[in-house]
Amino acid sequence: MGNLSYLIDALTPFNMVLALGGVVLGTIIGALPGLSATMAVAILVPFTFGMSPASGLIALGAIYTGAIYGGSFAAILVNTPGTPSSIATTFDGYPMAKRGDGGLAVTLATIASVVGGLVGAISLLVLAPPLANIALLFGPSEYFWLAIFGLTLISALSVGNTVKGLIGGCLGLLLSTVGVAIVGGDVRYTMNSQILLGGIDITSALIGLYCVPVLIDLVATRAPHLSIVEDTRGYRLLEALRISWASKFNLIRSSAIGTAVGILPGAGGSIAGLIAYSEARRSSRHPERFGTGEPDGVIATESSNNATVGGGFIPTLVLGIPGTPPDAIILGALLVQGIKIGPSLFNEQGGIVYTFMFGLLIATVLMLPVGLLLGRYAYTSIVKIPKSLLVPTVAFLTILGSFAIHSNVHDMQMMFVLGVMAWILQRYGFAPSPIVLGLVLGSIAEMGFVQTYMIGNATNALAGMFFGRPISAVIIVFAALTLCYPLITAMLGRRNKPAPVEATDTVVKVVTTDKAKRTKFRDVPAILFSLLFIGLGVAAYTQTKDMSAMGKVFPTTIAALLVILSGLLISFQIGRPAAPAKKDLSGEAKESTWRRVSIIVAMGVWVLLLPSIGFFATSLVAFLVLVGIASFDRLSPREMAIHGVAAVAIVGAFQLLMDNVLGLRMPTGLLF
Amino acid sequence: MRTTRFRQCLATAALGTALAAGLAMSGAANAQAYPSKTINYILPFNAGGESDLSARFQQAVFKKVAGVETVIQYMAGAGGAQAWSQLNSMPGDGYTIMGINLPHTVLQPMQKDVGYKTDDLTPVNYFHYTPDAIFVHADSPFKTLKDLIDFAKKSPGMLTFSGSGSNSSNNLAQVRFDELAGIKTTYIPFSGTAPAVTAILGKQTLAGFNYAPSGISHAGKMRMLAVASEKRMPAFPDVPTFRELGFDLVGGAYRGLSVPKSTPEDIRQKVSDIISGINADAGFRKKMEDGGFVLTDVGYKEMPAFVAAKKKEYTALADKLGIKKQ
Repeated sequence: MGNLSYLIDALTPFNMVLALGGVVLGTIIGALPGLSATMAVAILVPFTFGMSPASGLIALGAIYTGAIYGGSFAAILVNTPGTPSSIATTFDGYPMAKRGDGGLAVTLATIASVVGGLVGAISLLVLAPPLANIALLFGPSEYFWLAIFGLTLISALSVGNTVKGLIGGCLGLLLSTVGVAIVGGDVRYTMNSQILLGGIDITSALIGLYCVPVLIDLVATRAPHLSIVEDTRGYRLLEALRISWASKFNLIRSSAIGTAVGILPGAGGSIAGLIAYSEARRSSRHPERFGTGEPDGVIATESSNNATVGGGFIPTLVLGIPGTPPDAIILGALLVQGIKIGPSLFNEQGGIVYTFMFGLLIATVLMLPVGLLLGRYAYTSIVKIPKSLLVPTVAFLTILGSFAIHSNVHDMQMMFVLGVMAWILQRYGFAPSPIVLGLVLGSIAEMGFVQTYMIGNATNALAGMFFGRPISAVIIVFAALTLCYPLITAMLGRRNKPAPVEATDTVVKVVTTDKAKRTKFRDVPAILFSLLFIGLGVAAYTQTKDMSAMGKVFPTTIAALLVILSGLLISFQIGRPAAPAKKDLSGEAKESTWRRVSIIVAMGVWVLLLPSIGFFATSLVAFLVLVGIASFDRLSPREMAIHGVAAVAIVGAFQLLMDNVLGLRMPTGLLF
Repeated sequence: MRTTRFRQCLATAALGTALAAGLAMSGAANAQAYPSKTINYILPFNAGGESDLSARFQQAVFKKVAGVETVIQYMAGAGGAQAWSQLNSMPGDGYTIMGINLPHTVLQPMQKDVGYKTDDLTPVNYFHYTPDAIFVHADSPFKTLKDLIDFAKKSPGMLTFSGSGSNSSNNLAQVRFDELAGIKTTYIPFSGTAPAVTAILGKQTLAGFNYAPSGISHAGKMRMLAVASEKRMPAFPDVPTFRELGFDLVGGAYRGLSVPKSTPEDIRQKVSDIISGINADAGFRKKMEDGGFVLTDVGYKEMPAFVAAKKKEYTALADKLGIKKQ
């Protein structure tokens, strides 16, 4: 480690400004759902051509790490993971914000991100060449089992509701097969429409599945979006530090998981976050609190996803294999600058590499003050902004974000459709998270499975390929543990302590209401939905008959599973006593159905007309309509004026940002 | 609350001014000799792929050749089909150009209705290709192409090739090679070049059909047994071509540019000239050739013959890949 002189190189004022600017910009972009780290990095690349390679790299690394971190804001404050990396942040971050601990959650996310980022960056600095080989140890079968491991989290997420959770997982897996298959090239479940050829975009689906239900329920009552407690102003930094210190093993473990998963080119931040979450839950003394606002959940996800930044650079710089999509762009920028990648990079051009690594470390440290300031600002504005402005703004961001990913209006429409479906399903106990896990992990699982199968078949070692490889075996053991753990704790729990509180995933119900009475009544909607899913499964199964052998194996398996699970759910429910007539509904009576229907209709018309009329015009009108739907008191003329100006400003500012800064092609349609 | 509102008003005013200024600026550039403003270069793939990389190389010298900047925009989806199917609805003023790829733009519409036909595109220039090549791990017992073929003859199907995607150039090359060498091998598709190379480096597959530039970025860790270029490549003077070894295999992933159909003839020619001009830049040429690309100079005039020949070649292979013709 005689490379400390490079630290001085990294500390030039210009580099510091780049690091700071990069972190700030990245955090803001990451906080906006749909605007991803990949996009942030891609925009910055042309500007780095004029800089020295090390400075360019520092700027790129800073914006990248900032963007991954910024994703936590949207996850915590509006239940929308800005990037797939922060899916698991919503599980506990949003419940915390709901009950008034949003500031604490943001501060915890910041501390965890900094620690995770530091662990990743230090691993990069100290251990890159040996660690890079991990990337090569993982083949198709390891990726398959890793994805399965991620999927086993469904069982933990849906304690007390396991069958519904598994059904949701199957739905997500089926959704992941839509479009042109990478392996085999089959065109699947597109219903002969070109729109579905590209499949369902994961980020736009995330926005829909998590955020649209929140919006719909937000307009139903007058209650504030997040409960306000007295100390909304504080960072609660000391409290957060205390919690983090108490969770130091969780922090370190999650950061290590994030670094290791970041090294794997086929995995990425989503798997890192999910596995770290799963492990944190398994080793916690209060696993039942996970999913209801447990700080350890936020710490685990956020430390691991920021650790993937440093981890991802390890194979990128050592092997020339990009660990994550933003790494691929940074690799390209390096090649354009004429820098050769590979082990020689560390010797011949060590100056650049080490200066960059120290730059990344500095950027990570800068995340602490930047994050605390921006995070506090984000939190207080979400709390203070009136609902009549919050709802239209968040709705606008979902539309904008789902469009921005691929400049594709179909992604935006798919986001809305999935969101409404998620809202309906959620009302009947089918939580969105299992669907999301299926969707995110489905393609990794399928690709790994089919490749393993093909290689195994070609070499006559099918069983060996799947079960005989040592790393696979270890992952299988962990997956089995996660799968069975809820059962084990339930059995132990029955002996030791009162029945665990039902973890209701992200559906946040106040747990104190005495709904935990153990008599279970027949759930008629569940039976109806199961019938629907059986139909869906059969349809999906029959559609596979024209597919190639490679293309059909996964969807047939999933379709069959869906039918079996739905049958199982029906058989459970039939046996139960019919539910008594609905009792006191006074709690729900205040919920406004017309507002819910109106917001669905308004957003539906919005996404339908946007391509033909134009982005700015429809968004402005829709914004004002949503102001109306979300207003519970008559607005004074003054307030109306303010809302009008806010609508023009917000829609206009983003239009300019998209068009002129991010260089996206905005649909103009008839008007503008 | 009062101060918040005041702050909101201030922010609004600032944004309004910015909005007005932005609108005024975008209306200013107009009717002058082409090109007089920034050109939008749309890529039908995600940032970070090989098309992105080659466009970035072009972007770095674009200003020098064309006198104006270019901005790269991404419209990924459906393996490129999403962008290609929308190309003709974009303005044909020469300020919108889009990357196109072979064999994608021939094979895709053949397989399924993807919203565009090969002939809907208006290619103005094909500027380079990355030749297919066979790679093995540096430790592999296969030292020459002959070793590989001998193994495949002894144990049919046992030889596994990793490659980038199904029905891709890599896939086509593997099918052609099987046919030319009279062997049977197994092609394992991966989701891109990087994971396909990782499979070779991690010894998940015995060999790989990949693109020549991988031989640069992974020099020393992989051995290149043969390359599907016409002549030996300057970057790999020791690697024989398939032709030298008696297999008539030349091809790879070709990259070019298309404009919307409504673009006038003279502008089409000018776009083509800019791209040819970039290809002729000595510094650019050296970087690309060192990087394992083979520069081609198929300009607008030569386009009809080039596209017709490629269509014929791929159509013949499509049957063997099992792509259903529509």
